[in-house]
Amino acid sequence: MSDIGVSLFLASRSIRRGNRGTFVLTVMIIALVFVNLVFLPSIISGVVEIFNRQSIDYTYGNLVIEPKENDLYIDDVAALKRKIDRIPGVAGSSPHIQIGATFTYRGKAIPGTVVAFTPQYEKEVTALHTAVTSGDFLSDGDRDQIVLGVLLAGEEDESKDRIESLGGVKVGDSVLVTFTNGETRDMRVKGIIETMAVQADRQAYVTTGEMEDVLGISDQANQILVRTVEEGNEEEMKVALMSFGVQETIKTYEEKAQGFVTDAIQSFDIINAISTLVSLVIAVVVVFIVIFISTVGKRKQIGILKAIGIDERIIINSYVIQVAVIASLGTAVGLVFTALLTLYLTANPLIFPGGAVSPVLEAGQISRSIAGLFAVSLVSGYIPAWKTAQEPILDAVRG
Amino acid sequence: MIVARDLARTYMLGAVPVRALRGVSFTIEGGEFVGIMGASGSGKSTLLHAMGLLDVPTAGTIEIDGTDVLALSGREKTRFRLNRLGYVFQDYALIPELTVEENVVLPCLVRGVPREECLGLSREVLRDVGLEGRMDHRPAELSGGEQQRVAIARALVNRPAILFADEPCANLDSATSTTILDLFARLNEEFGQTIVMVTHEDWHIRYFCRVIYLRDGLVEREEPCRTKKRRRASPDRETAVDDDRLPGDV
Repeated sequence: MSDIGVSLFLASRSIRRGNRGTFVLTVMIIALVFVNLVFLPSIISGVVEIFNRQSIDYTYGNLVIEPKENDLYIDDVAALKRKIDRIPGVAGSSPHIQIGATFTYRGKAIPGTVVAFTPQYEKEVTALHTAVTSGDFLSDGDRDQIVLGVLLAGEEDESKDRIESLGGVKVGDSVLVTFTNGETRDMRVKGIIETMAVQADRQAYVTTGEMEDVLGISDQANQILVRTVEEGNEEEMKVALMSFGVQETIKTYEEKAQGFVTDAIQSFDIINAISTLVSLVIAVVVVFIVIFISTVGKRKQIGILKAIGIDERIIINSYVIQVAVIASLGTAVGLVFTALLTLYLTANPLIFPGGAVSPVLEAGQISRSIAGLFAVSLVSGYIPAWKTAQEPILDAVRG
Repeated sequence: MIVARDLARTYMLGAVPVRALRGVSFTIEGGEFVGIMGASGSGKSTLLHAMGLLDVPTAGTIEIDGTDVLALSGREKTRFRLNRLGYVFQDYALIPELTVEENVVLPCLVRGVPREECLGLSREVLRDVGLEGRMDHRPAELSGGEQQRVAIARALVNRPAILFADEPCANLDSATSTTILDLFARLNEEFGQTIVMVTHEDWHIRYFCRVIYLRDGLVEREEPCRTKKRRRASPDRETAVDDDRLPGDV
């Protein structure tokens, strides 16, 4: 039998016939450490995913075309839209005109943004029309009608508002809208939308025809949102649009949302790094203590093994193998716990300001956690075993 | 053959140096059953530990079958213990998590001998010590005498050149001690097994071919071996006797 075979022989007997309670307890601790290592990153991934989803579905589509540098508007929008829609991989596009405005309701005035689009086109790109909680979404021919985001409409009880609002506007109410060019319209609230995306829920929406009338422009827009057939290939589609002659500035939804998301993710990463470090320290301490107690308790046994001619490396390896088995079982149990937790939180998502968040397990994070846990377990198992095996034989045999 | 020259061992008891061996020299021939005796603190266990390569003398040399064993590296000493020496401890020193058979087979497996061959050897040696029916038992399920026989079987499984036994009967009653000593005597007589045993029991003397008496870390005297055939001391197993006068008998 090879040396490693003898180590396996000793380790397997020790696991099978050693203290079951200690073994199970150690496996459970490793399992919980694994859950701790994986859980927070999975929530962060869930937050990032929900934010990306909302950015695409309610705010930017997959790509945003903006005017060239120094231009205020994109001209010949209808022709450009037709061109974009013909590009393979594009599912639809929707020109937007965005402008600042002041909304006044029952004497309360607050600033905000009005977004104008053609509802028919908008339905090809965003899911705003699916987020109507009361009233109706806009129709192409609507005039003097406005759809408000739920945060802008607000609650009559101001204490329920998350941001400053109009104080509980209802469908059918009239809101006075003063555009930045000085035009004023008294508009009937046709619908209220709630997307859980903060930016979308604090804006107001009107038809393109209404806005062209207000601004006195035609066939112009300051944004064109583009929906792609597939997601995840935004960079390739950006290049495709340019190659088809779109000369305006093109940004992906990630580039548009960069500031906010990057800041949020960086903050989460710091929390995650601290959590990971604490988890690994717990794993190190637990495995070290368990193996230390085990080797100290078996000091005499280690001495006997050495006395009968068994090499230190075989003895140390038998402990390292035991730790590897504990880490493997702990990781497997941890994976089961994580899967159960994920199933539960998928059925009962955590409610964040941006929406309902379910954990998203990523293979890379799981692999890193397993590797990290194994590395610290093996090292913290090796050190006490090595230290005890270094003792003079007679000292060890005498216990 | 063991040749010890001027062996000295000094260790510290707190700040006080204790000279356990102060220059011990002797030779033990192959096939001898040698007893090492002396009062408590005379250095007999220290001497056995040094010969068994469990401890390093402060000075002197030990040659075993022509090898200067004290010049070996730590790993070489481990291999030497495994391949050439067997060691029986006072308190049996079995691995509690292993069965009788596993305890015995372990040193053989470590040598790299194929598993089946090792199992054959361990069964053979367990049969020799009368434990073939207890192979699947754990040490805690055995009596003291049985555990010591397992320890002897473990020490013998690799067919060592020398078997060292450190007061192997200290924890056993007289009847069980007799069984163990009979076993040693049979191994010595039938297989020519060299055995070096530490004891403080005078009645063990009749088993030995020779006795080295230690006193204050020095060889006080040796009772020479005059015959290879010894009388068994077991009251119910009187066997052929060439010489009734045994070392130590006065």
